[in-house]
Amino acid sequence: MAAARRHKRVAASQPGFLRLKPDLDHSASRIGHKKRVNKNKKKNWNKYSDIQDVEEFLEDVRLQERATGGLLSDKSDDGLFFVDVGEQKVRPDPGAVEKKGKGLKPLRIDLILQPDSQVPPPKELSSNLLIHVCILAYQQPNARKLRLMAQKAEKLAAMGVLPRRERLLQRRRMPGSKKPVANNDPARAFYDLWRPDRPDTADPYYLEQTKRRLVKKGVTSFLTPPTPTPCWQRPEKLNVKPSLLPAVEVAAPGASYNPDFTSHQALLLEAHETEVAKLKAEEKLARQLAVRKEDLATEESVFREQVEGLIEEEEEKLEAEEDDEGTAVGPTAQTEKKTEKQRKREKADRVKELQKKAERKAIDSRQQLFQLRTISAELRRREQQTSVRRTRRKDQQEREKVQPRRLGKLRFQAPDLDVQLSDELSGSLRTLKPEGSILKDRFKSLQKRNLIEPRERAKFKRKFKVKYVEKREFREIQ
Amino acid sequence: YESGSATNYISRNKARKKLSLSLADFRRLCILKGIYPHEPKHKKKVNKGSTAQRTFYLLKDIRFLMHEPIVGKFREYKIFVRKLRKAYGKAEWGTAEKLRGNKPGYKLDHIIKERYPTFIDALRDVDDALSMCFLFSTFPRTGKCHVQTIELCRRLSVEWMNYIITLRSLRKVFLSIKGIYYQAEVLGQTITWLVPYQFAHDHPTDVDYRVMATFTELYTTLLGFINFRLYQTLNLVYPPKLDGKGEGESRAESEEDYAMDSECYMEKLSALSASLVRVVSTAEAEEAELDHFPAEGEDGEKLAERLKARQDQDRQEKLFEGLKFFLNREVPRESLAFVLRCFGAQVSWDKSLCIGSTYDVTDETITHHVVDRPSLEKQYINRYYVQPQWVYDCVNARMLLPVEDYFVGVTLPPHLSPFVEEKEGDYVPPEKLKLLALQKGERPEQEEEEEEEDNDDSEEEEDEDQSHDEDELKGMEEKQALGKASSVKVTPGEAKPVNRQRAEQEAKAEEKRLAVMMMKKRDKYLYDKIMFGKKRSVREANKMSAKRKALDEASKANKKKKLKK
Repeated sequence: MAAARRHKRVAASQPGFLRLKPDLDHSASRIGHKKRVNKNKKKNWNKYSDIQDVEEFLEDVRLQERATGGLLSDKSDDGLFFVDVGEQKVRPDPGAVEKKGKGLKPLRIDLILQPDSQVPPPKELSSNLLIHVCILAYQQPNARKLRLMAQKAEKLAAMGVLPRRERLLQRRRMPGSKKPVANNDPARAFYDLWRPDRPDTADPYYLEQTKRRLVKKGVTSFLTPPTPTPCWQRPEKLNVKPSLLPAVEVAAPGASYNPDFTSHQALLLEAHETEVAKLKAEEKLARQLAVRKEDLATEESVFREQVEGLIEEEEEKLEAEEDDEGTAVGPTAQTEKKTEKQRKREKADRVKELQKKAERKAIDSRQQLFQLRTISAELRRREQQTSVRRTRRKDQQEREKVQPRRLGKLRFQAPDLDVQLSDELSGSLRTLKPEGSILKDRFKSLQKRNLIEPRERAKFKRKFKVKYVEKREFREIQ
Repeated sequence: YESGSATNYISRNKARKKLSLSLADFRRLCILKGIYPHEPKHKKKVNKGSTAQRTFYLLKDIRFLMHEPIVGKFREYKIFVRKLRKAYGKAEWGTAEKLRGNKPGYKLDHIIKERYPTFIDALRDVDDALSMCFLFSTFPRTGKCHVQTIELCRRLSVEWMNYIITLRSLRKVFLSIKGIYYQAEVLGQTITWLVPYQFAHDHPTDVDYRVMATFTELYTTLLGFINFRLYQTLNLVYPPKLDGKGEGESRAESEEDYAMDSECYMEKLSALSASLVRVVSTAEAEEAELDHFPAEGEDGEKLAERLKARQDQDRQEKLFEGLKFFLNREVPRESLAFVLRCFGAQVSWDKSLCIGSTYDVTDETITHHVVDRPSLEKQYINRYYVQPQWVYDCVNARMLLPVEDYFVGVTLPPHLSPFVEEKEGDYVPPEKLKLLALQKGERPEQEEEEEEEDNDDSEEEEDEDQSHDEDELKGMEEKQALGKASSVKVTPGEAKPVNRQRAEQEAKAEEKRLAVMMMKKRDKYLYDKIMFGKKRSVREANKMSAKRKALDEASKANKKKKLKK
């Protein structure tokens, strides 16, 4: 039994080799069938030599490397065994100061999840390639790549750059570290936001290209065309306010708590006018929606509807008339062919017409020489017209800049003017009753300045009907 | 659609989907980043043929939004909320607690820096921030918004007020029925803000509180940074510290009753009665007098003008300097304390009213006592009892007005808006005219008026006198005419004194008339229109004053009747 012998030899060559799994004796099952083969053929060597034991051995080596991170035989006894002395209580030492870096230690769960194996993961082989790559035990897949990567990592580590995984682990907040301060924390600290930073000494082109600094606009020479703003940079247009209105519009002098008579009257008049305009609009709508008198059913129309279709004679007459009209009006198709003579005459007519037109044109253009004054007057008039239109359009644009735009479904609705009637005015600050809400005023101001679109409050919609049930106890009492 | 305006715009819903945010988050992001909807010129083209009303954004803006790190934070927050809800649903209180501890937050600092690249940019936009902060700081803590936000707003607004007091840059105050408008000048920028009256809240239902809270979030951050910078420019310590001198005195026993130790500091700061600590001592800073250099291209006149304006301003800043005020408990304490301290007055109030009172009612050195009740029983003889409007009117008039019109129980003169700038030919209320006269230093005129008002009977007599005079004049004229007719005499000619000024004026008027005559038809039309407009405004002003006169007379007559009764 050559195989068994070889197995023993290999095992013997490993000093103090330990198997992870208990050894199974396969040799007993294989004793029965023994075949004689010629060993002078290489083919037979491969086919009939028994390498099971070697395979098993190597498998075991790999298993040990995978699972325990090295050969068991290489490990020291301390690593493999420990003396069981029962449960030991760890008593915290009151005198000992906690280590500084203890808080920064990664979690145990993360350590456990770290890959323990020394065997690198196998190279993935695509299944459609029918190549069986034979990798020997001492070979490493992707060895070159891995080596390069390791070198690079070492280099980076020397420079203080950690791999992403490590960074993520370290970035994890420790229980002792500070929580981020909420934005509306009343005790939050502020600093000088607009402090001029130290000037960059590096090449500006380098900084721009590496996106360390935004590309400066406006410093384009004629040699370099203006670059469009990159999309990660704030568009210049955003710094223009969408409306020219001031942020805080001061109330009219009539809205003083102790107003001058005339200005108060002026304010009241204004409020009155807006109110009247509103009423007018409402009335107009009501008028337009009202039922017209002509549309109401009269006795006659009701009767006519009832006898509709019962009187036949009139209908027939009407139909007959309609038929007559239809035949008279309808277009007739020309089926007759034109004669040669007709064609020639038509052609001659066409030519004549064209000639006439050309002549007329020539005469007109000649005649225009004598109309120079009128023409120039006309030109001037037109120019004036365009200039007037231009100014008007400009004015309109200026006015629109102050006006609220239509930004959504709803139009901006100006809030009601806050006024106090003459009898509501109180002469002193103590008895003053403030009018209107400033919150609403601010909100409307934002809408008016086109910062937000006007919206309606979402209506509450019940999905299911409410079902009322009388409780039994209640019924009994009744 | 590969070109044209349809490619420049994006509808709100599409933008929202592009950023994968909910509508509320999208709205919040837009507000924070200062990206506003845009109305396209040709809606139908942008809307791809549809005429439905939609909200559009510029596509470039939305692309810019995609690079915002806060978007990620919003998503994180969404996940946080989901986890929390789940934990609560499963009644896992421990998990919920742990989650709450790790609530994700975000900062707006970089957005502020991006939106306002320079400090002046930020200062220009501070009106909104101030109004919002003052508004939110007066909110009741009933859960309409976070209590923390309210507290932060209060802190920032108090800091702002303290800064304005130290800078002494308040210019105008207007008490309207809505709230109080203040105007100050900070680093050359005119800043207007609106402060609500205390306890004036009804919560309107048609206001989106979420939107307002988002704006406030942005504005509190902005105002905080602005405050820091402003305090730095004045060499003040930030966060503000009260001056140490008064520390010992102010530790009165009533303090413990008033506020907890943790709140005490803030309350004292908001009392506005003490000055703040400076990094550099004040004496050094004030001694250095500014040198005056004429700006380029500026002649002597302009320089003098500028100097005069500067002096006026200095005088105005020291309006109440050396005066000692005491505020009765019914007057709006905070507003009055703010305004008075802005002009260098000393203020105090009752100890039980608020923390930080520095002297008592019984103090003999008090010069003005601000009262807002019809009558006061116990009065000290060496101080004026005035109504609060006096303070505000003095500030607007930039001078100390006579106190008589503002005594306790007297009907107050109207409170005019300082924000109105009358143009030539506009109607000017008589109170304003009086004020302007006072400002020029014409005091007697007003006294005359008062006299007139006091004794109406004498006025009528005067009227009679006038008519009598007129009769006499007429008689003289008749006599003269008769005399001329009777005697024809040649008298030596007298050199008529030529009024050169008048002649000049006449010549000018003539020139103008001729120029008008020579005008082109088109220009003439425009000119006529302008003149008509001017005349109309004058006519209207006249009408108004006539109305006012009629009203005054009517009220006088009423008074008389009452007196007779």
